[in-house]
Formats: sequence, C-alpha cells, structure tokens
Amino acid sequence: MVEIEKLREIAREVISREDVRQLIGYRQGTYGFRARPAFVTTPEEVDQLIFSPACVNNLATYLTLEEKLPVPRGQEPDLRKVAVMVKGCDSRALVQQMEEKAYERDRIVVLGIPCTGVVDMDKVEERFPNVLSRGEIAMEGDKFVLSFDGKREEVPKEELLADKCRRCRYPTPLVYDQLLDEEVARFADDDYSDVLELEKRSAEEKWAYWEEKFSRCIRCYSCRNVCPMCYCEDCVLDRLNPQWMRRSVDISENTAYHIARAYHLAGRCIQCGECQRVCPVEIPLMELNRKFYKDVEELYDYEPGTDAEAPPLLATFKVDDREDFIL
Amino acid sequence: MAEKNSDFEPNIVAFLCNWCSYAGADLAGTSRIQYPSNVRVIRVMCSGRVNPLFVMNALQQGADGVLISGCHPGDCHYMQGNYYARRRFMLMRNFLEYLGVEPERVRMSWVSASEGAKWKEVIEEVVSGVKSVGPMNKFQRRQLNW
Repeated sequence: MVEIEKLREIAREVISREDVRQLIGYRQGTYGFRARPAFVTTPEEVDQLIFSPACVNNLATYLTLEEKLPVPRGQEPDLRKVAVMVKGCDSRALVQQMEEKAYERDRIVVLGIPCTGVVDMDKVEERFPNVLSRGEIAMEGDKFVLSFDGKREEVPKEELLADKCRRCRYPTPLVYDQLLDEEVARFADDDYSDVLELEKRSAEEKWAYWEEKFSRCIRCYSCRNVCPMCYCEDCVLDRLNPQWMRRSVDISENTAYHIARAYHLAGRCIQCGECQRVCPVEIPLMELNRKFYKDVEELYDYEPGTDAEAPPLLATFKVDDREDFIL
Repeated sequence: MAEKNSDFEPNIVAFLCNWCSYAGADLAGTSRIQYPSNVRVIRVMCSGRVNPLFVMNALQQGADGVLISGCHPGDCHYMQGNYYARRRFMLMRNFLEYLGVEPERVRMSWVSASEGAKWKEVIEEVVSGVKSVGPMNKFQRRQLNW
C-alpha cells in the first residue's frame, strides 16, 4: 500500500513545478470512507490527498472531460501540464487515450500507484449495512480492515474485492513518470468465465436475460459520462440529425443505446469497470464490454490500452483476418 | 413465431457496394436470373461506408435480416474499405449473437460485378436462413395502435 506521507510529498513536489497546472488525485469523501476526486492547484491543498482501497474512481476520465473554452484574443492558452494519479487499470485508459491521439504524452504528468485492489462498495454494504457512511477502511496484507463504531473487522481480500480487480492483469501502471511504491506482481488473470457462461445459452435465453436488464435502463447516461473512453465531442446519442436512437425509454431504444455504447467501446474498453459501478439500476454493462474484449483478443490478438504506439483496432486490418462468416 | 413455418416472407435490407455487389445484383437482373424478392437494396459507395449502427437501426425499423455485400478482398475500389468492414461486422455479428439476435440475421458476402449467379445463391441462402429463425421479434420499434 502506498504511504500517504510519501504520496503527499511527491504530489507537493509536482504541483510546485512551474509547468504543472493542476493535479488530480483522491481525497476523503464527505461521509465515512468513500473517496472522491480532488483537483489540486496549490501546494497547500496537497495535504487533503489520500489513497485507500476506497479510491475506486478512474481519474483518467477528467483529462478529457475538461472543457476547452476558446481563448480570448490577445491571451495565450494555458499549456501547462496536468498531473494525474492512476492505478493500474486507470493507466491503461491513459495509454488508450494516447493511442487515439486524445492528447500528447508530454501534456500530462503521471503518478503511478501500484494497486493491490479496491473494494466493491456494494459488497461492503451487503456485508456490513450502513457502515459506508461512518467507517474507515484500510488494506493490511491480504485483508481489508474495516473500523466502525469502535469495532474492527478483518475481512479476507477476496470477499470484498471489486470484480474488475479479480481479473486484473496489470496492477502496476503501464505508463508513469513517478511510481509511488514498489511494483505489484499480477495477482489474478482473466478466464472470461462470465462471458463464456452467457455464450453457451440459446438465443431465446440470451435475449430473455438482456431484455430484462435493458428494460430496467432509465437512460441516465451515467455509464457514458463516467467512461474514460467516451470523450467524443459529438456523441451519437446527442445527435439529432440523424437521430440514431430516440429519447423514449422503451426496450427498443434502450437496446439500441446499449448496442451503440458497447460497440463504440469495441477494442477500446480497458476494463476499469466504472460504467457498471455507477449504474443506478445495476445493469451488468461489463458483460457487454467484456464480450468485445474477449473477441478482440481472440480474433485480432489485440489488447486495448497496452501499447500507445499501436494503431487503434478498427482503424487497421490484416489481409488474413478471419472471414469464415462471409458468404 | 406462429408464422415461423407458414408463409412468412422476411424483409431483408441489403447494403451493396457500388462497384461490385450492386453491379453483380444488376447483372443478375439483366441476365434474368430468378431470385427471392425479399431483398430491399440500398446502394452505398463502399462496404466500408456501412456503419455497424445501420444494422442495429435496420433491425429496429422492421428488417428481419441484414446483408452487407462488398468486393472480394483485394478488389476494393478504394483499396481497403472491405477489409475494415470485415473487422467491424465480425465483431458486430458476434455481439448481436451474444445479445440473442440469431447470427442468420446479420450476413456479409463478397459478390463481384461478374457474379450474378453467386448473388442468386447468396440471396437464397440469406432468405432461407432468416426464414428458419422467423420474424424479428426482439427490439424493433413498436408502432402505437391508436
């Protein structure tokens, strides 16, 4: 686990640099052990920064989310860098964004956090109801330690670990300027068991499963807004001409939305799991993304967010790509 | 599903590339080759023009099946458009299958300008495939019946 003092010291050093405009990290949330993003612009603010297993957010989102206002005449644009703290999965979002030329590598300063896994708040809530808002959490070795109401509960890591961490192939950031701790060895691998299980069902069973999930969707678009890869300035969902999907919340338009969202992440989704985490109606969005992830790996031997120099998957081809489905 | 085995005539939307498949279908017509009349042809300049969302949209708007047809690999008028299309529709087809849309509904073919006879075979294959899975009854837009 990263030492907080070391983290703050490095952060203070970075934000004091002339060429750094802002540092994006984590700070304590309002209640309990929830963490929220912190946007640090002065060295004094550095003392609020933390890192704990509750730091689930993917901060790579904020790099592309920032509004770029036109610069008034006579003024120079602010070209200073943005520093960002990333876990292993978040760093892959940076790599993928750079692969797509969202920004140049020298525009950002990356503080890498070797990550031993984060908690799934829903699992905590299920096991210890109502402690989210008044407890504390830490990771000690292979256990999560929750303290609340003067009690101390030790829970094996496996039981509260977020699903994305169970199959994390890259716990140590793939891109960084400074690493805040020792590298972490890979502690899990992906066997796609959830996708394989769904694939085995018949067409009717599959549709029955997805129809139930999609019909719950309230089209809040949280999954799009939180996604670090969804940063098109002109999104097909907002477009009125052509209007790809209507605003009405029914099974037809909801399905269209989920097809479009998942397809636009084909070969781009880096498995950070943010979409599923923020979904208010608990649609298993990662099962959609993971289908593409699996296909892309099997068919085209491509893993998103691992090589910033490679061309994006659908912007390239091989002459001998599989075509046994073609008549 | 009641119609599945009776006289169900599917609607099939076909996106044909201007240079090969459209000319191939035209040749089938001028050669007076008989093939099922379930296809509604939309001409595009290249199979690489076909957005995967077209497939989703066609199925939403009442198509029972979609066919995308382009030049053979290496013959693309724009050098590489069909290669890109091949990747896109491989993924789209697998994904729709994962959601429960039968793979018979989303087909792709290479038909060149001289293959009027192959066009007939492709259409027969597509139509019989769609007939075997019946009408699309999953996520098409429902018309309000006032």
